[in-house]
Amino acid sequence: MNKRIPISEIWVYLSGDPLFALIITLATYQLGYLLYVRAKRHPLVNPVAISVILTCLAIALMDMPYEKYFEGAQFVHFLLGTATVALAVPIYNGFKRMQGKIFHIWVALTVGSTVSIASAVAIAKWMGASDNIVGSMYAKSVTAPIAMGIAERLSVSPTLTAVFTVITGMLGAILAPYILNAVKVHQWWIRGTAIGVGAHGLGITRAFSVNEEAGVFASMAMGLNGVISAIGLPIVLTYLRPHLGF
Amino acid sequence: MISGLVQLFLWQGLGELLSKFFLPGIPGPVLGLLLLLAFLCLRKQVDSDLALVADSFRQHLGLLFVPASVGVLLFLPELQTHALAVSTALLVSVILTIAVTALVLKVFWYFSLKRNKHITMHKGHRHE
Repeated sequence: MNKRIPISEIWVYLSGDPLFALIITLATYQLGYLLYVRAKRHPLVNPVAISVILTCLAIALMDMPYEKYFEGAQFVHFLLGTATVALAVPIYNGFKRMQGKIFHIWVALTVGSTVSIASAVAIAKWMGASDNIVGSMYAKSVTAPIAMGIAERLSVSPTLTAVFTVITGMLGAILAPYILNAVKVHQWWIRGTAIGVGAHGLGITRAFSVNEEAGVFASMAMGLNGVISAIGLPIVLTYLRPHLGF
Repeated sequence: MISGLVQLFLWQGLGELLSKFFLPGIPGPVLGLLLLLAFLCLRKQVDSDLALVADSFRQHLGLLFVPASVGVLLFLPELQTHALAVSTALLVSVILTIAVTALVLKVFWYFSLKRNKHITMHKGHRHE
C-alpha cells in the first residue's frame, strides 16, 4: 500500500515548479478575458488588470517572492519580442490604405507622442514624483512590448513602464470617444489613428468594435508610434538628459 | 500556424543580431519588425499563416506583459506616496495625446480638402 503523501507536501512540490507560475498567469488572464467578453468588451473590465491583480494576490497569499514567480512566468514574458515583430503585419495592412496620407500621419504621430511624453514627464516631475516614476513616464505612451524594450535601454524600470502603459490604455479606451467628440473629429481614420497613439491595444479593440477602418488605422498607428519612439527617444534623450537634470 | 511562428522567430533573430553588432541603440525586436515590414512591402502580400499568428498576438498582447506588471508589488509603497502625481500625469497626458493627434490630422485634412476644391473649381472654369 502506498504511503499517503500529506497535502502540504504536494503543495511544496507544485509551487517550486515553473509550471505553477505559468498556470496562475494564464488562468487569471483567461478568467479576465471571459469577464471582458461577458461585459461586452467594456474597457473598465480589462483582462490584463484583472490578471495582474489576481496574480499579485495569489503570490502574496502564498508568500512567493516575485523573483521566484518570474522564473516560471518568463516563458510568457519572452514572447514580447516576437509580438513586437508581429506588429509589422498591422502596420503593413495600414500602409495599403493610407495612400497620400503617409506624411500627415507621420507628422501627427511625432507631434502626438512628443506631447504625450512631455506632458506626462513634466506633470509627474512638477508634482514631485520620484525619479523611478518620472523615468518610467517616458516610454509609457508606446505599446507595452516596445515600451519595455525602450525602458531597458534608458535604464528605467520596465515594470513601472508596463503598469503605466496598461493604465494609459484603459484611460484612453474609456475617454477617447468623449475627447474626439469634444474636438469635433468625425472621420473614422483620424479617430482610429488618435486612439492607436493614445490607447494602445485596448483602444484598438474598441476601435475595431465600432468601425473596421478605425481599427486598421489604430493598429497601424500603435505599431508605427512604437517604432518612431524606439528609434527617436534614446537619441533625443541622450542630448536632452543633461539639460533636464534627470 | 507553426510556419507563421517560425517566420516571426527568424525575423526576430535577425533583428537581435543586427542590434547586437550594428545598431546597439535600437531594440532587436524593433529592427526585426522593420525588416519584416520591408519584406512585406517587397512581396506585396501577407501569407495566411503569418497573418493568423500576427492577429492572435495582437489580440492577446496584454497577456504577455502580465509577468512584468506583477512586479508592481515591489513598487507599491512608492506608488502610494506619489499616487496623486502618477494619476494626474497619466490622465492629463492621455487626454492631450488623443486630442492633439486628432487635431493635427484634422488640420491636414482641411488643407487637402481645400486644395482639392480649388483644383476642381479650376477644372470647372476651364470647361466653361
